[in-house]
Amino acid sequence: MSRKLTVVLFAMLVLAGAMGLKTAVSASGKPTVVATGMPAPWPW
Amino acid sequence: MLGPVDWIISLLSVLFEASVVVCSLRRKSFRRHFFLNLYMSINVLVSAGQFRVLMHYGRSSLEYRYFYFYSEALLIIVLYFALTGLYLKVFEEMRVERYVRLGAVLLLAGTACFTYAVVSQSSHRMLTYFVFELSQNLYFVGLVLTYALWGAIVKLKETRALLVQFVLSLGVYFSAYAASYAMSNLRPDLYSYIFRLFPIIGCLLPLAWAYAIWRVPEDARLAPARLAVVPR
Repeated sequence: MSRKLTVVLFAMLVLAGAMGLKTAVSASGKPTVVATGMPAPWPW
Repeated sequence: MLGPVDWIISLLSVLFEASVVVCSLRRKSFRRHFFLNLYMSINVLVSAGQFRVLMHYGRSSLEYRYFYFYSEALLIIVLYFALTGLYLKVFEEMRVERYVRLGAVLLLAGTACFTYAVVSQSSHRMLTYFVFELSQNLYFVGLVLTYALWGAIVKLKETRALLVQFVLSLGVYFSAYAASYAMSNLRPDLYSYIFRLFPIIGCLLPLAWAYAIWRVPEDARLAPARLAVVPR
C-alpha cells in the first residue's frame, strides 16, 4: 500500500475514532470546548 | 456572578500562558517550538479579549457567548497545528514531513466536511453552529491524535525529554477534559461541580509546558528504563 493511501486511511481512522469518542463522552449535549482558563458563558 | 476563586484561576491561567512564551524567549527557543508558542500567545490575547467582553457585557450575554466560542474555535485550530508540529518533530528523522502535512490537511478538511454535513440541516445561524461543532470535533480529533502520537513515541523509542514532556502534558490535558465530561455524562447531577474543574484543567497545560521549557534542556534525553537482553 502506498504511503499516500496509508495517510488517507490513518486520517479516516482518526476521524471515525474521534467522532465515536465524542458521541460516547458528550452524549448529554453539554459543550466540551474549554481551552482557556476564562469562565465559560453561563447558562449554556 | 464570578467569585474570587474564578478570578484567581483565570489570572493564573493567563500568567502560565504568558510564562510559556517568556520562558521560550529566555531560552531562545521561540522559533523551535513556534506553534506551541503561537498557541500560547494567541491564548493570552484571547483571554484578554474575553476578559474585556466579560467585563463589558457580562457572563450571560450573547456577546460574551459569541466571542467565547468563536475564540475557542480559533484556539483549537491553532492547537491542532501545534500538535501537527509535534508530529513533524517525532517523525523528522524518517523524512515524511510531506505526508504528515498531507495527513493534517486531509484530517482538517475531513473534520470540516463532516461538521458541515452535520450542521447543514440547520439553516438558522448555521455559521455559529458550524464554528461551535467544528471546534468540538477538532478537540476530539486532537485527543485521538495525541494518543496516536504517544503510541508512535513508544514504538520509535523516542528519548527527547522535552518532546516527550510536551506530548504527555497534552495527553493529560485532553484526557482530563474527556474524563470530566464522561463523568458528568454518567452523573449529570455532578455537572455543576465538575464544571468548576474545567478552568483548573485549562491551567495545567501552560504550567506543564512552561516548566518543561524552563527546566528541561533542549538536548536532554531520557535514560531507557530497562535494557532488553537479546540472545545472539
